[in-house]
Amino acid sequence: MSAKVKLNKRILDFFGEYLVLVAILLLVIVTIFVEPKFLTIGNMTNIMRQFGPLIMVALGMTFVIVGGFIDLSVAGLMSLVAVLTLAMIEPLGQLPALIIGLLIGVVCGLINSFLILISGAITQAEGLFITYGMSVVYGGLALTFTGGVTEHMSYMSCPYTIFTEIGTGTVGFFSTSFIIFLVVLAILYVFHEKTYLGRTINLTGGNKTAARLSGISINKSIVIIYTLSGLMAALGAIILFSRVTTASPVLGRNFETNAILAVVVGGTRLSGGKGSVIRTVIGTMLVILLANCMNLLGVSVFMQNVMRGAILILAIWLDSHKED
Amino acid sequence: MNFKINRSTFRKLGKYKALVAILVMLFVMLFFPTNFFTRFNIFDLLNSASILLVLAFGITFVIIAGGIDLSIGGTMVVSGIVTIKLMPHAPLLICMLGGLLSGVIIGLINGYLVVYQKTEPFIITLGMGLLLTGVAQQLTDAHPIAASNPKFMMIANGFMFGVIPNLVIIMLILLIIAYAILRFTQFGRNCYAIGGDYEVAEYSGINVRKIKTMTYVIGGFAAALGGILLSSKLNSGSCVYGDTTALTVISAVVVGGTSLAGGLGGIPQTALGLLVFAVMENAMIMLRINPYIQIILRGIVIVTILCLDSYGRKKRREAV
Repeated sequence: MSAKVKLNKRILDFFGEYLVLVAILLLVIVTIFVEPKFLTIGNMTNIMRQFGPLIMVALGMTFVIVGGFIDLSVAGLMSLVAVLTLAMIEPLGQLPALIIGLLIGVVCGLINSFLILISGAITQAEGLFITYGMSVVYGGLALTFTGGVTEHMSYMSCPYTIFTEIGTGTVGFFSTSFIIFLVVLAILYVFHEKTYLGRTINLTGGNKTAARLSGISINKSIVIIYTLSGLMAALGAIILFSRVTTASPVLGRNFETNAILAVVVGGTRLSGGKGSVIRTVIGTMLVILLANCMNLLGVSVFMQNVMRGAILILAIWLDSHKED
Repeated sequence: MNFKINRSTFRKLGKYKALVAILVMLFVMLFFPTNFFTRFNIFDLLNSASILLVLAFGITFVIIAGGIDLSIGGTMVVSGIVTIKLMPHAPLLICMLGGLLSGVIIGLINGYLVVYQKTEPFIITLGMGLLLTGVAQQLTDAHPIAASNPKFMMIANGFMFGVIPNLVIIMLILLIIAYAILRFTQFGRNCYAIGGDYEVAEYSGINVRKIKTMTYVIGGFAAALGGILLSSKLNSGSCVYGDTTALTVISAVVVGGTSLAGGLGGIPQTALGLLVFAVMENAMIMLRINPYIQIILRGIVIVTILCLDSYGRKKRREAV
């Protein structure tokens, strides 16, 4: 009896740990055999470009989830950053617009964290609903600002070379957005694993009372995780609208669920305290490859949504079994 | 002494904040020359709030028992679509039973995953909502489908006695049933006990798992019923109707005074909380506020109220 339970647990652990990698391998192998176009350079570049926006949001979300909270405001925030940044290119120039776009993300993140601190929300559910409300506010601001109209980059009379470079440029074999991703990943990895502030985020997510009693400022952690999430969502929004050359006021829709999916599928513990940016990269790879392979195989977008929901449920189910 | 009076007054105000908000809005509307206070508009307001109210009654059980269900929007659209899809093959009653059954099954799955598998309720139901949206898109090819039975449309669009919309009557009957179950039955009392303290309830001999699963089934059933009524009102089913339903309804439930921590609240509070949103929506349309600014205002109200809810809990934590 006990041996059987142990075996079951070991099988579950194995799946929990390596399921994502096995799934990616299987998916890629099947796709290569059925649709050889998968391996063409065009498709590889395509995957790299699709990678850009989601990975940024997911990296920011990783810190929020590791810190024991969740951030649904990225959907509205991305829309707001995109429309405001695009509108500012003409009057202010490219570089200032880019910087202000990122600053808007930081400010929105700060607002989120202050609301959480003032209201004294300590559970994930409270954070979820407050950030959802803020997502509605940011999305509403984006809609009010544009009047519901999608803005086009190509209609502008001023140069917008920086954004073209971010969206469609290449450095050697890699796309520019992929290079940005590598740089950001390196910075975030060092911040999370090697600095004092980065480690306190893990402790906050693991056990808030213990963290406070050992002299860690939880409030500081909360401000950092939400600000980081806001900044990364803004970066993701800029990369996304540079690639599609239009900024719609509903640009960020569904990014929050996809980012959570990427983080959780990668194996970051949803209850907080455990996880890493590398895991998120693997999780995002699965989400992107899943979409790419299913598109190549001719699976409908609707069934892809069903698959995504099922994978999210499966990943959380495995996650909850790890805790026992 | 003076301070004490102030505090108890504030506490009372906090308890009835939904009612106060509604009264304030009604008072403000007195000063604007609109058609707000006409019989037609009041019935229209209640009529448009009825479907969300039905959903809110179901989710109240889930929240009081300490759970949460973000998949009710998905459940709503799927049940409506199932009902319409069944129409060419079966009589109307069977179609509606099929729709309700789909809601009960989804509720059972949610309950099983949350209670027996001990998973995080709000993320698992978020995933379920994503999955159900996909199912709804697949079933309808992502465009609205029309109902083929003309009798179906009359359920939600008909009038009783020539004045009162059927939807309002249905909603009132469900309000009384839900209130009676939660207030006067053992099951209802047990829901409060489980939400108050899960472990204490378990040690006092309550079958916590069964009852908590039941709350999810009730939530799914109510969402399915709301979905059928919505499809009947619009005479169509579409995958986009339920996009923001879950979070709007849950915010409204919290506005009424049902705490997200569980164990507090009730059906009348939920009804008042949803009416706050209904009156606000109606008043904003009457005042011809830009629809995009309406979205911002709604968001600000949701954030304010949820922050106040958290703040109240923080004060209670510190008081202990």
